[in-house]
Amino acid sequence: MNIALFVAIPLGFAFISILHKKLAPILLIAASLFIIVGLSFVQNGETVIGGFEAPYGIHLLMDSYRLTALYIVNILFLSVVLLNIRKYHQMSTVLLISLTGLNGLIMTGDLFNLFVFLEISGISAYLITSTNKNPLASFQYLVAGTVGSSLYLFGLILLYAMFGSLNLADLSMQVSQLTDKTPVLLPFLLMFLGLGVEVKLLPLNSWVKGILKDANTLSGPMIASVYAAAMSLVFGRILIDLFVFEGRFIVIVSTILLVSILAGEAMAYQSKNVKEILLYSSVAQAGLVVLLFVSGLASWALFMVMANAISKMILFTIIASASEENGDDITVLQGIFTNNKLIGFSFTIASLSVIGLPLFMGFVVKMNALNHLFGEQMFLAIIAILLASVVEGIYFVRLLLHLWTPSETTVTFDIRMKAVLFALAVMLIVFGITVEPIESLKDTIEIGLNVGGTSWRI
Amino acid sequence: MLQIAGLLLMMLGLYGLLTNRNVIKIILALNILEIGLNIFIISIGFVRGGEAPIFSSETTSNALVYVDPLPQALVLTAIVIGVGTTALGLAFAKQIYAKYHTFELDEMGEE
Repeated sequence: MNIALFVAIPLGFAFISILHKKLAPILLIAASLFIIVGLSFVQNGETVIGGFEAPYGIHLLMDSYRLTALYIVNILFLSVVLLNIRKYHQMSTVLLISLTGLNGLIMTGDLFNLFVFLEISGISAYLITSTNKNPLASFQYLVAGTVGSSLYLFGLILLYAMFGSLNLADLSMQVSQLTDKTPVLLPFLLMFLGLGVEVKLLPLNSWVKGILKDANTLSGPMIASVYAAAMSLVFGRILIDLFVFEGRFIVIVSTILLVSILAGEAMAYQSKNVKEILLYSSVAQAGLVVLLFVSGLASWALFMVMANAISKMILFTIIASASEENGDDITVLQGIFTNNKLIGFSFTIASLSVIGLPLFMGFVVKMNALNHLFGEQMFLAIIAILLASVVEGIYFVRLLLHLWTPSETTVTFDIRMKAVLFALAVMLIVFGITVEPIESLKDTIEIGLNVGGTSWRI
Repeated sequence: MLQIAGLLLMMLGLYGLLTNRNVIKIILALNILEIGLNIFIISIGFVRGGEAPIFSSETTSNALVYVDPLPQALVLTAIVIGVGTTALGLAFAKQIYAKYHTFELDEMGEE
């Protein structure tokens, strides 16, 4: 199967959906299902677009890393869509465009093409957040996102001026052959900052609070789970394939990451508002994921993105749905699980997996990552991860106690939501108990990784 | 020279983004930033005394110096994306005005 279809079909359907508004939700689900089914028929390799061979033309790539990334993003995307399609059917065209952008982002092997997909998915993300009915926050997101992608474009054009190529593999080869790597650090820094806006790294994430504190059941999981997963995976791929870490660049990157992790956890700890707790915690997790990527643990970072995306999907959907009427103050939501045991069960598993307790997927990932970091003697990273886990433990357990304490509050949840979230929670347990699928997937991913850049010790 | 002009415009746009508290002015600053970037990209491919990058039957020699066409193609795409973002930004500005009856961020009573 031609992998260009994963971009072309949702884009084509998006145009049709403008002409036939009533068909739009059906087209959205059809495109999403088509991609998930189609993923089992793809083969590794590259697809040339327009007949120009690489490095001259644009091409799409497929390997185990990208395939896993596509599975994660598309399955979560479909879950969010199925839960929200009745209420937000007018967003179908936008969602089709965002599916185009996200799949393109993951598969493309060309840096400028990546910028285009970044903007396509970015613009549809701004539109998805407009369902929050907070235009000011959406506007701030748009400004931050546009400045971020402009910085990325600035960085990549400097790379083009130096090497005369925009092809990821070609550039990565040329960069690794350089004896003096100082000139490429400025474009890398610009690209790092630009993509850092999308991945929510501090201090580039001023938009996150406005967007996620008003998030509904569509925008919350979409931005915090689906987009966050896609952006971190794309960012990680560029980090391992292309970037070299040297000199002052290391100082800047490690400061940004450590501040993101520690300040994110500290703000989550301090917050009294459930959505704020979740959003600051996801800022910290984004930092952790990027930390694993720059430490060279690409496959574990991939699994951490997967575990986080599933957990965040569960957490944000439940809280967004419960707070629709009463707001999301921690005292207002007290006791929402008393009458909703199944929802409470899913929420508990998701948060325990984020903390990294045994039996859940988060544990397997954190344990193996720490194990590798110990082997490499990267103690600062180990301290950051452990400290973050302890703080996460405190505020998540406190949150769980509040939500489970019996009270008068009655919130009803949709039966479909219960089923989908329960299935996702079970997935976290399955991957937490049976390690074999992850281990074998890890091996195939690492064979496919072309590590051009260098990892570094923090 | 062209590169410096592009960089200056980018700095100007960035300065405008950081100092302005008016929604419309922020959109303008964003556009100045993008135009600066586009000029910078064009300048990367510019060759003094170069020909237009069109290969035709009238071209006498392969050894002619051509202007690099790729940055021009990139800028064309970047301009289209910029227009889209500006339009969306203005749509949000309209919604903001409908909700708060002002374009000044300081007068909205939120952060």
